[in-house]
Parts: sequence; C-alpha cells; structure tokens
Amino acid sequence: MKTLLENKTNTVKVGVVIIALALLVTLPNWGTRGMIPIFTLIMIYIAFGQMWNLLSGYTGLVSLGQHAFIGLGGYALAVSSERFGLPLYVGFIMAAIVSFLFALIISVPIFKIKGVYFTICTWVVAHSLGLFLSTLAFVNYAIGINIRATFRLPTSTIYYVALGVAIVSVLAVYLLLRSRFGLGLMAMRDDEDAAEARGVALYKTKLKCFLISSVIMGVAGAAMFMNLGFILPASAFGIDWTISMVIIVIVGGKGTIEGPIIGAVILVMLRQWLFDFPGYSMLILGAIAIILILVAPKGIMGLVHRFTGAEFFSVRRRPKRITEPK
Amino acid sequence: MNVIIQAIVTGLLLGGLYALVGVGMSMIFGVMKLTNLAHGDFMILSSFIIVVFLQHVTNNMFVALILTIIVMLFFGTIVQKFLINRVIDKGADSPLLVMFGLSVIIQNALFLIFGPNAQIINTELMRTNIVSTQMLSVSALHLVNFLVAVAIIVALTVIMNKSSLGRAIRASSSNIKAAELMGINTKRMYIYAMGLTIIVTCVAGLLVGSTFMYFNFTGTQYLIIAFGVVVIGGMGSLMGTLIGGMILGLSQLLGATFFGTPYQTLSGFLVLLIILSIRPQGLFSKAIRK
Repeated sequence: MKTLLENKTNTVKVGVVIIALALLVTLPNWGTRGMIPIFTLIMIYIAFGQMWNLLSGYTGLVSLGQHAFIGLGGYALAVSSERFGLPLYVGFIMAAIVSFLFALIISVPIFKIKGVYFTICTWVVAHSLGLFLSTLAFVNYAIGINIRATFRLPTSTIYYVALGVAIVSVLAVYLLLRSRFGLGLMAMRDDEDAAEARGVALYKTKLKCFLISSVIMGVAGAAMFMNLGFILPASAFGIDWTISMVIIVIVGGKGTIEGPIIGAVILVMLRQWLFDFPGYSMLILGAIAIILILVAPKGIMGLVHRFTGAEFFSVRRRPKRITEPK
Repeated sequence: MNVIIQAIVTGLLLGGLYALVGVGMSMIFGVMKLTNLAHGDFMILSSFIIVVFLQHVTNNMFVALILTIIVMLFFGTIVQKFLINRVIDKGADSPLLVMFGLSVIIQNALFLIFGPNAQIINTELMRTNIVSTQMLSVSALHLVNFLVAVAIIVALTVIMNKSSLGRAIRASSSNIKAAELMGINTKRMYIYAMGLTIIVTCVAGLLVGSTFMYFNFTGTQYLIIAFGVVVIGGMGSLMGTLIGGMILGLSQLLGATFFGTPYQTLSGFLVLLIILSIRPQGLFSKAIRK
C-alpha cells in the first residue's frame, strides 16, 4: 500500500514537472509580450541561484565572489562578438572555456584558504577582476562594450537560451547530487574529517564542484549579458549579483533544488512589481532574508517541507525495502 | 625619488586610516568569530548621521560625533541583541548571512533617505598642509587621521588587555563555557564588544567621511579594505591591523606610483592575495581559523 502511494506521488510529481516544462517551452506562443522578458530573468536567476546553492548549500564553500564568473562569461561573449566578430554561440562556448580556466587557475591559491578567509578572498578576487578590466584598453576601460549582435535578437530566442541554461543548471545539480559524487559532497558538508576518513577525496571533490559551478555560472552570465546587450566592469563584477544569489537561496531554501527556483521567482517578481520604487525591493528582500534566517533557516522550501512533507526533486536516498515499523 | 618618498609617506598615513576602518572588524571577529559583512555600511551610516547632525543640530564636530556615537550605540545594541546574539550559536553561515542581509538593508535605506548623491564632511583640515615643500607635502587631514587611528588602536588594545571589561570580553571569546561558569554573561559581553566597535567605527566614519567622498553604496568598498587590513594583519589581532593597514596603504600608493593611478586599488588587493596565498592565516594571527 505504502509503495503504491509512493509511486502515485511520484507520478504526480513527474506529471507536474512535465506540465511546467511544457508551459515554459511554449511560453512565447501563449504568453503576453511583457511576460517573456520577466521569465527570461527568472530563468537566468534560477541558474545563478542553483550554482551558488551547489557551491555553498551542498559543499559548504561559502563564496561571495561567484559574480566573477558572471562578469567573465559576459565579457567572453562581448569580446568574442565585438572584437573578433564571432557568432554569439561561439561566445557562449568561450564563456564556458574562460570560466573553466579561470576557476582552475584561481582554485590553486584560493583552496588553501579556509572558512571566512575563503569567503572574503573570493570577493576580493572578483572585485580585483573588475578593477583590472577597467584598466584595459582592449575592453574599452570602464566605459563598457555594446554587444551589438544581441540587438537584433528576438526576445523569444533570448528566452529559450535562458530556459536552456536554467534547465541545464537544475539537471546538473540534480544528477550530480544523485550520483556517488553528490553523496561525497554532502558527507563533506556535514563533517569534513569524517568524510575524508571514509575515503572522500576532499580537494578533488571541492575542485570539481567549484569548476562545474563556475562554468555554468559563466554561461548563465553570458546569457544575462546577451539579454542586457551592454557590459561594463562595474555592472559585470558588481556584488549585486551575489547579493541576489544569496537572497534567492536563503529565501527559497538552502540545500534544496526547489529553493532557488522559488527564490528566483520571488526576487524577479518583487523587483518587477516595485520597479518604480528603486531601493524598496532590495530592502524588503533583505528583511525577508534576515527574518527567514532567524525563524526558518531552511527557507520557504524548508517550511513547505515541514508542513506538507512535499519534495519535488529529492536528492535524498531512501531505503529500497520498506519495512513496517513494529 | 621624491615621488617615491611622497608615496611612502602618504601610503603610511593612509594605512593608518585603513587600519582604523579595519580594527572594528578585527575586534568583532576576535571576540565572537563573526565576519561583520555590514561593517563598511555601519561606518558609512555613521558618516551620514554625522552630516545630519552637523546640518541640523550643531556646528561643532565633536558634539556631532558624540551624538552620532549615542545613536549608533543604540542601533548597534539592537542589532547585536536581536539579530547577532540569536544566530551566533547556529553555525558559521547564519550570522554571516544575517550581516549580509543587514548590509543590503542599510545600503538601500540610505539610498531611500539620502538619495544617490555623493557627500563629504567639510572640515578646515582638508585645506591645510602641515608640511609643504618641493620634496614632500603632507595634508593636515591625513596626519590627523593617522594619529587618531594610532591613538584609538593603542587605547583599544589597552582596554582589551588591562581592564576587567577587556578581560571578561577576552574570556568570553576564548572559552564560552568556562567564562559562563565564572559568572560572565557572554552574550552581554558581545554587546559590550559591539559597543566598543561602534565607537571606533563612528570615529572612522568621521575621518573617512571628511577625507573621501561617499554615498550610499560606498560601504562595500570600505568593507573590502577592512577585509584587506584585517586579513593581512591577522583576524583578531588589534596591533596587527595597524601593520596590515600600513602594508595595504603602502602597496596601493607604490602601485599607483609605478604603474599609474588606475592600478592603485588593484595593487593593494594583489598584495593581499599574494600574502594570503603564502600565509593563509594572515601575518600576525593568533585567532584560530574556523
């Protein structure tokens, strides 16, 4: 009986996911004109949130410098399109490559640094990158670059790219965490020493996670700047991106896959709703985030889970045999 | 050669100011192992409040500073009592993220109240030079900044090492259980530590606000400088901050002299990252890394 019920809820879950996906894919056909840009933003923020969550919610590497990769991705797209005249999809490949290489190089010094120092250092690295790019003539100093190739793009194309990035990010986190590697990650987050004693290669696991998170973040950053059409160091390497990511994850629920999705929807909607009152939306979100940390450290998803027990993308492993409690 | 001497002198003096910016953060970290991500915003908030008092209440800088300290102490106590003390026991991430949220709130609240315009606190010191020769010129403001910074850091060190309040605060930081068994209310000690930090931060706010332009988002910039100072000096080491500040100031000014002004801030951070990758716990750290 119980297994049947379990299967039934599983079917419902799969059904909901499929319907949601179908609605999202056909959005340009049924949605109003105003909806597409909003959903584009939501999709990109979902990717940002997922990647920050992967790094900080699952591995415990709290980084406040992941916007370095958003900026790098954006600049890779801008430079390859404007300076080298390459098509935009090559820009996305470049974004992935540049992010990968930078993450690989920076991981050598930065992984020596632990805890709070890691948090600070990642931020300093991102900030320094922004400062460095504003001294380069090649990227037009701090004045910025217009990515002209994006001006002619229809909004639905940008939307599909964003949707693709969001789906890839969710799938990547889901598959990663369901794998053996993900088990190691979570063991590491809960107790580093115990995990290492059980044979989890700490450095390698952290590095892989950092690389995956950085590459997808870079691609999502390229998508973001394809949407914006203009890039300058102050916006590309601004802490605002990380503030948004952190708020998305905290509001939605740290260490869950649904959390960043809910968080991204709330963030984008609230900003859109309070568009005429700049400052208020971040003020409200900051307050919500603090209140949630105080009363519900697991965010909205944690509350939902506590009261209804619902989980869409469960990465937990349940025992295969269900034995009746005696 | 003149240019280099000038850069070294200005760098050291600027370093004093940076140390004052960083010392509050070092103190909070040393006592409650909390990285105060809203530290820069606390400072800029006090700069804004000083300007309000100067414009509407008094013309005297010291009176304005003292009024600001009173307001900020009230604010700091509330933050410590109702936010930090409630999450400080719940792992390392929660307090960090609470302060991050607080930083976002302060920045946007300042934006809503004061708008996006840059401000500066007007003082006579800005326009006077103490030394003014062809070799070297030293602004009175920079010198005052440096002297005040050194005085405050020394005073803070003495308070922490010699007074009974300082001993109680240090006891709460090194062993919570033992301190509480000795009858120390550790959470209250945290409030006192925050109070000391707030006083120092208000002074830093006055000096920074009268030396450089600031606006609502400037706090982030000084947070990173405070990071730099504290990380080079070693988190929790108060005298280390002074040296950390000077190293950061020197490397910024020397970088600017050799590579050009755009590289000023960048060279400071590069030195920071190099030091950190060689000595991950900072140069003078006594605090245990978590």
